[in-house]
Amino acid sequence: MAFYEQHIHPKPTTFLSKYIFSYDHKVIGKQFLWYGIFFLFVGGLMALMIRWTLAFPGQPFPVIGQFLFPESGGAVPPDTYAMLFTMHGTIMIFYAITPILIGAFGNFCIPLMIGARDMAFPLLNMLSFHIAALSGIILLGSLFTPLGAAAGGWTSYPTLSTLIGSPGVGQTFWSLAIFVLGVSSIMGAVNYITTIITLRAPGMGYFDMPLTIWGLGLTAVLNAIFLPVLGSGVMLLIFDRVFGTTFFLAGAAATTGTGDPILFQHVFWIFGHPEVYILILPAWGIVSDLLSFFARKPAFASRATALSMTAITILSTVVYGHHMFTTQMSPLLTQTFMTLTMTISIPSAIFFANWLGTIWKGSIRFHTPMLFSLGVVFVFGLGGLTGLYLATVTTDLYLHDTYFVVGHFHYTMAASVLLGGFAAVYFWMPKMFGTMLNEFWGKVHFWITMMGLNGVFFGMMLVGYGGMHRRIYNPFIYEFTQKLIPLNTFTTWSAIIMGLSQIIFVVNFVHAVFFKKEKATANPWEVGTLEWTIPSPAPHYNFKDIPVVKCGPHEYGNPNLTDGRDFQYQTEELV
Amino acid sequence: MATGNLTLNEEKIEVRRRALTSSVAMSIVMVSFAMVFATLMLGYFAYRFTSEVWPPMGMQRVDLGLPTVSTVLILLSSLTYFLSESSFLQKNSKKFKAYFWLTFALGIVFMAVQSWLWFSLKKNGLFVGSGVFASMIYGFTWIHAAHVVGGIVALLCLIPSVRNKREEVSTSLWLKNIGMYWHFLGIVWVIMYFSLFVY
Ligand code: HEM
Ligand SMILES: [Cu+2]
Repeated sequence: MAFYEQHIHPKPTTFLSKYIFSYDHKVIGKQFLWYGIFFLFVGGLMALMIRWTLAFPGQPFPVIGQFLFPESGGAVPPDTYAMLFTMHGTIMIFYAITPILIGAFGNFCIPLMIGARDMAFPLLNMLSFHIAALSGIILLGSLFTPLGAAAGGWTSYPTLSTLIGSPGVGQTFWSLAIFVLGVSSIMGAVNYITTIITLRAPGMGYFDMPLTIWGLGLTAVLNAIFLPVLGSGVMLLIFDRVFGTTFFLAGAAATTGTGDPILFQHVFWIFGHPEVYILILPAWGIVSDLLSFFARKPAFASRATALSMTAITILSTVVYGHHMFTTQMSPLLTQTFMTLTMTISIPSAIFFANWLGTIWKGSIRFHTPMLFSLGVVFVFGLGGLTGLYLATVTTDLYLHDTYFVVGHFHYTMAASVLLGGFAAVYFWMPKMFGTMLNEFWGKVHFWITMMGLNGVFFGMMLVGYGGMHRRIYNPFIYEFTQKLIPLNTFTTWSAIIMGLSQIIFVVNFVHAVFFKKEKATANPWEVGTLEWTIPSPAPHYNFKDIPVVKCGPHEYGNPNLTDGRDFQYQTEELV
Repeated sequence: MATGNLTLNEEKIEVRRRALTSSVAMSIVMVSFAMVFATLMLGYFAYRFTSEVWPPMGMQRVDLGLPTVSTVLILLSSLTYFLSESSFLQKNSKKFKAYFWLTFALGIVFMAVQSWLWFSLKKNGLFVGSGVFASMIYGFTWIHAAHVVGGIVALLCLIPSVRNKREEVSTSLWLKNIGMYWHFLGIVWVIMYFSLFVY
């Protein structure tokens, strides 16, 4: 199948060529992993400051508040609050989740799982990381500009994001950072798609690829098509801010000859809705595989799963209007978008039923990666269902811009993608770093995270349903929201618990990467995909001989298996 | 680049497959670039169709002279690029080089005419800040021009081929992939010419 055989590169020897300017997809994957974990920390800290402000308005943030906000005695000031939720959203979506799921696991898994020695374009791959790093520096730099970082929300709607709404240079930096990151992601996407098309091991058809690769591949397709849309949008925003054009300045073109802020919303969501699937598809793929791996059963109807993911990918391009029901869209359009959005339920339901079908009557091994995967099944179920209320025009008119939306997308993105990411880290850890994470502490991490997370995000949905709007510094100045104070306090405590429990993970991770003596075996989880046929950690050339694929990735529990194993490798003939 | 004891024929197949790989990648890149300009056009038509009079606010249309010259230039450069590539494939090295440098020159002249266009717009009172019509004329031509500059840099990458420093197969690969981009820039400009300036 592979178009050609890649050569074995000589082993890099110097520090720079090994860790900084490496062409090796595994090293680049790890770079993205550290990058993502770093930003997860920064974004998480911001989230805690936001939550603190909502639960204890006016009180100083513990420990670091005095240093960060000395002029207000340690409490988060109103303008900083807007900056915090903007940067929190931006960082989590573009600089934490994207690098971890797509940058780290995309890079790490694609060549290993399809039996290739590296990406199709290793140099492009390396540049993609360095450009992402540049973008991260621009974004962090914007925090130190005179008027502070961007504060117009992660969606950066004009007029909030034009010079009228945010005169500081921070918003310009934000736009530039997103643009640069987009370039990096598109480079990655081109690489991923080309690799998947041209470098699959001999014998591996598209349906013999693990579902992880399906998810990552579909994500790459959406990235290549829709990131340029955002790129154009933020570029015009930069023009408006720097060169004085008036694309998004208020006033209808017909009467005043100036631009239209709503146009930016269209452009943003044409990209933005596919973006939410860009984030979730890799997690879906990973979870679909892991459920089968740990239930010791073939993935139920895995072709249907792959095709449903494809159908969702295609449909996700035509539903973006559901984010704009309240922008005085014509009822014809809102209802069209509502119907199209509802149509996604069909493949989603097939897909979700397949997950349940996979674990049904399996002999489930509750290892940490499986716990996280089951967690994804639970939280994604909730997140997906709440989407239906938002997609219904009549209910959305009430729920739009409340904390219900915030709860919805945290269940779908923060919860599902984060848990999926953790599942992946625990699962591929031996292949990445050659050691296993501690199972006991992994389970503790899971349960505390899971409880904290549901407390936070369910709390958000409840206060949103109660009418609390998002992005307000002190929502309790309204009388009807004062009853929601206890619930907000509960949410904040849940967030603090969830945040603190990540320390368990960090310690576990750092210990396993740097200090653990005990090495992992080549195939600790007893899984048959190609990356488990080679030693742990994967050698720099991956496969000494390019493997030949003879069966699918989910061959478990076949009664014809005789040698005491309940799985078979993809390189083995189906028994 | 073939490994070990491949026969000549296998070697050829291998080279062709590598070529295929880079074209797969280049096609995806072209989809991405196309989306950039598709977004701009979406914005343009949104304004255009919601406006009763065009250009709005009694602004003057842009004089067609310079944009027409640009159109002719960029189309010519596509033609010369095509001729350069086909001369190369026919192993006519002299013509290949001549047409290549002609393409390069036409690219530079195109940029010069664009700069002249911006200059003359300003002289005629159409400033960047004079409303959405001006925004689009300037913004879109800037973005296109930036891509043309990229295209000129890409042409520079062909210089080793022109100076016979590169294997034949690999030159034909470079020619094909850069050609995709160069012709694409021409197509985009023609669409912009008709939508922004003529229509
Ligand atoms: C399963 C079906 C889904 C449906 C029907 C759905 C529907 C919706 C609707 C209608 C909104 C707009 C609400 C409003 O602003 O009033 C929304 C917001 C959002 N959804 Fe979903 N969604 C679904 C899945 C997802 C997934 C999988 C993700 C991410 C991985 C996601 C992420 C988001 C985000 C980020 C927002 C809010 C963006 C913002 O306004 O800041 N959704 N969803
Ligand atoms: Cu959406």
